Amino acid sequence: MPDPGSDTSSAGLAPRFEPDVGWVPADQRLFGLDRRTIAPTVAVFTLAILMSVVLPVINAKVAYHDTVNAGDIIELQGAVTFVPEAGWGITSGVRAGHAPLSGEYPATATVADGDVTFKVHTAPFGGDANALLDQIERTSAALNRGRGVQVTGQPTTIVTDQGKQGTTAQVTGPQTGGVIAAFVFDGRGVEAVATGPSDIGAQPTAAVLRMIRSISHRGKGTE
Amino acid sequence: MTTTIADLDRARNIALDLSGWGRRFAFYQPRNFAFWGYLALVGTGIFLSASRLARDFNAYGQAIVLAVTSFAIYAALFWWFTQRIDKYAKLPAKLMVVAFLWGGFAATWTMAANANDAILALYAKAFGQSWALAWGAGLAAPLTEETAKGSGLLLLIALAPRLVRTAFDGFILGAFIGLGFQIVEDIVYAMTSAGSQFGANQIGASIGTIILRMVSGVAAHILYSAIFCAGLIYLLGRPAEPRRIGRGLLLVTTPILLHGMWDSLAAVAGPNALSLVGLLIAVIVIALVIAVRVYELTVARERDFVRDVMAPEGARNAITAGELDAMAGDRKARKAYRKAGRNRRERKRARYVLNAAYDLADELAAARGADTDRVRFARGEVARIRAGRPSPW
Repeated sequence: MPDPGSDTSSAGLAPRFEPDVGWVPADQRLFGLDRRTIAPTVAVFTLAILMSVVLPVINAKVAYHDTVNAGDIIELQGAVTFVPEAGWGITSGVRAGHAPLSGEYPATATVADGDVTFKVHTAPFGGDANALLDQIERTSAALNRGRGVQVTGQPTTIVTDQGKQGTTAQVTGPQTGGVIAAFVFDGRGVEAVATGPSDIGAQPTAAVLRMIRSISHRGKGTE
Repeated sequence: MTTTIADLDRARNIALDLSGWGRRFAFYQPRNFAFWGYLALVGTGIFLSASRLARDFNAYGQAIVLAVTSFAIYAALFWWFTQRIDKYAKLPAKLMVVAFLWGGFAATWTMAANANDAILALYAKAFGQSWALAWGAGLAAPLTEETAKGSGLLLLIALAPRLVRTAFDGFILGAFIGLGFQIVEDIVYAMTSAGSQFGANQIGASIGTIILRMVSGVAAHILYSAIFCAGLIYLLGRPAEPRRIGRGLLLVTTPILLHGMWDSLAAVAGPNALSLVGLLIAVIVIALVIAVRVYELTVARERDFVRDVMAPEGARNAITAGELDAMAGDRKARKAYRKAGRNRRERKRARYVLNAAYDLADELAAARGADTDRVRFARGEVARIRAGRPSPW
């Protein structure tokens, strides 16, 4: 134990000189930079490039092999289903009877055939099919500010194979055209959008119409 | 062997030198390559997030305002708590802001978000959509997000090599990186929820997500990154923290496993909601217990620094032995010191004396142990409060 003194100061103890924060020792300079900071920065940049460039490029190069077989049914949240066209690729969504381990089917499914994609999304909605189409139109316009895909043309009625009525309209965008359909089953809204390059025509193909008409819901009641 | 005051002063200087306590942090360092790397990656993240926010605000403005306000309050609480546990050899607030921004913009937008999307899609292509939905997140996000967040610590060390010296520094900076990541990710989740019902019922659609993220966030990114970054310091070794590869690997892999468990809960629990809640609580408790253990493991060195810096003050009777033990002790030691007062007034005063003694420690650290006017004033404050004299200021 040191001898306690009456003097409480530590006078005489000068702090050791420390160079400024930005100072770089002469033997550590490389083109004016602190060479010690290069390796960690390059390591972090390598990781960033791996994550933001390399992995997405690898993903883009790997083709989907999950193609639709005749008789496949895609199921979504809330017991909504549709029958995809045989030969199309499933890019998201799962087949009926193959729910993820959580038991909950996803809210969105997408199938694709070349440049044409068909996407179905479902969520609770308190209104009818026309109100749903209006809502989708409003949200899309707000998000895209007139620059993206927009609902164009007069909405018309479409009837599913199950006999449920919905609303459909054409959509157009920069170099894109297609069709949108909206249904509401027992408070559950369903949006189906098929888009493809505009040069193949704005009219939906028979395959797309078949998929839209195949949309069904296992609940009771209709729109 | 008798310890002299000169010995204690030397030990103080060594502790200040080793710990980096009290040193200034300057962000603008044009000759530091890490500065430019940080600016590029965080700047890209800010640009990407601002673009998304500007685009979505037009459609989901109400939900975004609610989410940003809620998570700002949430962040402020965690900020306060994390700063509070850094009560020994404190890091500068500016460095914590730099850590927060890394987690919020570079680790999320520039790095992990791109990698997660790509890996999830690759899993779906390789193993099928059902498998990817069940296990994809648990086998993608822990690797990408923990490394993206943790890599920020490499830049912070390069930006502040004289400040980031101990595993506890890594623990605290990791917590702030995790806080930034968590808050920005939560806002993005809320925005996604706002659009999940075709843009209708935005508040109703996003409020559940906001509450769930707040509750689950207690044992999520903040905690994972704190453990990961403490482990990274052990792996790298620092002047005040010898390299311990085994411990480092354990601490780096633990949050990856915890994160993986968290993201796989729904798949493990299956459709049973009770199992899901039970597993959720179990994972939170396990994560919190591990975080407390890592805190206790890493904070010991910081407490030693406090003891070394303040021991000369004890030897010169500026503080008592009891005050020194309380300052360099844990929460229980400080509580015991306060409770030793005979009445409420003394107990209150004991708390103020401790706070003033911590102020003195900070002043001594800023002065690198020299006897400056600020140090003498802080020392005088300890004496004044102990004597019960009112402040003249």
